[in-house]
Amino acid sequence: MTTVHFFQVDHEIYWGLLIALYFYYTGMSAGSFILTSLGTVFGIEKYKKVAKVGVLMAIVLLIFAPLHLIFDLSQPTRALNLFIHTNPTSAMSWGVYLLILYPVCLLIYSWFLFRQDLVKGVNNGGFKASLYKFLLFGKKDLSETALENDRKKAKFFATLGVPLALLVHGYTGFILGNVGARAIWHTPLMPVIFLMSAMVSGTGLFIIVLMLFEKFKNGKISEDIRALIADIANLMKWFIVVDSALMIIYFIVLWNTGEAGYAAGYFMLHNDFWSFMVLENGLGMLLPLLILLSKKARQNLTVVVVASILTIIGVLAMRINLVIGGQELPLTGSHLVEYSASSFDIMVVIGLAVAAGIVLTFLYTVLPMNRAGVSPKNSTSVTDNKALSNQKGVAR
Amino acid sequence: MGKRYAMVIDLRRCVGCHACAVACKSENNVPLGVFRNWVEELETGKFPSVSRHRLPRLCNHCENASCVNVCPVKATYQLEDGTVLVNYDRCIGCKYCIAACPYDARFINEERKTAEKCTYCYERVGAGLQPACVNTCIAGARTFGDLNDPTSEVFKLVATESVAVSKPETNNRPQTYYIGATEKSLRPSLIDIVLGGEK
Repeated sequence: MTTVHFFQVDHEIYWGLLIALYFYYTGMSAGSFILTSLGTVFGIEKYKKVAKVGVLMAIVLLIFAPLHLIFDLSQPTRALNLFIHTNPTSAMSWGVYLLILYPVCLLIYSWFLFRQDLVKGVNNGGFKASLYKFLLFGKKDLSETALENDRKKAKFFATLGVPLALLVHGYTGFILGNVGARAIWHTPLMPVIFLMSAMVSGTGLFIIVLMLFEKFKNGKISEDIRALIADIANLMKWFIVVDSALMIIYFIVLWNTGEAGYAAGYFMLHNDFWSFMVLENGLGMLLPLLILLSKKARQNLTVVVVASILTIIGVLAMRINLVIGGQELPLTGSHLVEYSASSFDIMVVIGLAVAAGIVLTFLYTVLPMNRAGVSPKNSTSVTDNKALSNQKGVAR
Repeated sequence: MGKRYAMVIDLRRCVGCHACAVACKSENNVPLGVFRNWVEELETGKFPSVSRHRLPRLCNHCENASCVNVCPVKATYQLEDGTVLVNYDRCIGCKYCIAACPYDARFINEERKTAEKCTYCYERVGAGLQPACVNTCIAGARTFGDLNDPTSEVFKLVATESVAVSKPETNNRPQTYYIGATEKSLRPSLIDIVLGGEK
């Protein structure tokens, strides 16, 4: 029976682009960290050479992620209240501590990972040397016991970082999943879906960053990195398989969850057709999956980059569809709630993305990014031996 | 037993004059474009078989309020008498409460830059007066009082009339009781809205 509303109050969508981007950044941080910790934590040798690239990327993404939230606050100067007043029933309240613990853990891990190379660079003079000297806090010991200690501590903090990465992104799933009022969010699968899409987008972005890094640092992409990228692309294929399985399960159950769930599913299929079906699931999930199924495609750098770009766009669409789409369905009244991103939000998103890129490039430029087994340009054979022994040491 | 404030709205009496919305705005200095208290009006059916319904909405001061549960800084809190209030000096404006409230009861006050909603006219009730919307209602459709007091008017109405609340399935346990509400007005007809049945 038709129902016509004569008078109602228009409501606003308050959680917009900045919240979706926050979820996107933490996801990519957690995903790229878990991927590149495979070397340090699980002893998979070939991932050790990208541990430095990965951990710096994870740290920078995680420092910029909460900045989106600060810009979204109506009272940004009161952000410290989050630490003074804790509410155990609020997922957001847990997140505040995870958003501190996780990057601190990664910083300590990377300090142990970088320490011996910082010591080696400290005598070269110039800006880098004084920066290294500052970063070392006087710990310049290069004896075998000190290096062994570095390896042990690096492994310890990397191992601690994995569950923290799972928690720091898992909790964001609870932020949406705990909201019983909105069928589209209210599912126990939400934290798991968030984690899996984080693995997909974290891997996708890492492939792109790693390739750019190698290209600018060494001029070309070496054979072993090519082989590793093919390997990561294979992992990404499996991440996409699990992620899409979760999305299908989520959607089928949503479709059968009462009127609100059915309406939400119908909304995603029809009103959100272009962003949900085409961008998020077609171009962002199915197409890269089909591409990566072929072993030949996984060994072709250009094809892997295309697949990676598609996945990171797909996951961005997924975050936006969930966060904003979830609020377009009205809770009262009789029509869909409209959203339009404010120019302030768009400026913040672009500004933070550019700033994150600059900071990451700066870190890659000034820090000793030589990897185990490959000596820095001006090193001697002694350092080569050390690097080799380091490699063996970590393998133990 | 302590007090438990609640409101009963008798829709058989509501004429849709919107005086409650105006009185609330005036009493609480609510900015333009946002409402702590408003009246939805809808018509169902096809000529000549039509009926018209109204549903005044306000914060339900829920027993198990989503907003209280999700606030990361405990700026939203509940008094012993059930009133849910916002500490405007503590609220950081994260808007989680707005996203989590099943009743759209909350908004950001752009002048104060914090979340805000109906307070049951806390200062008026404290002074022994009725909330502004109850006081101004031309048809006496609204009744406010203590649900734990068997002699109170709200207790009698909830006990003797057929009352309904909006979205009981959320387990928010809302404390605005409607007499004579249609299902269509208590919740949006999501299927109609999404499938385009409603204009």
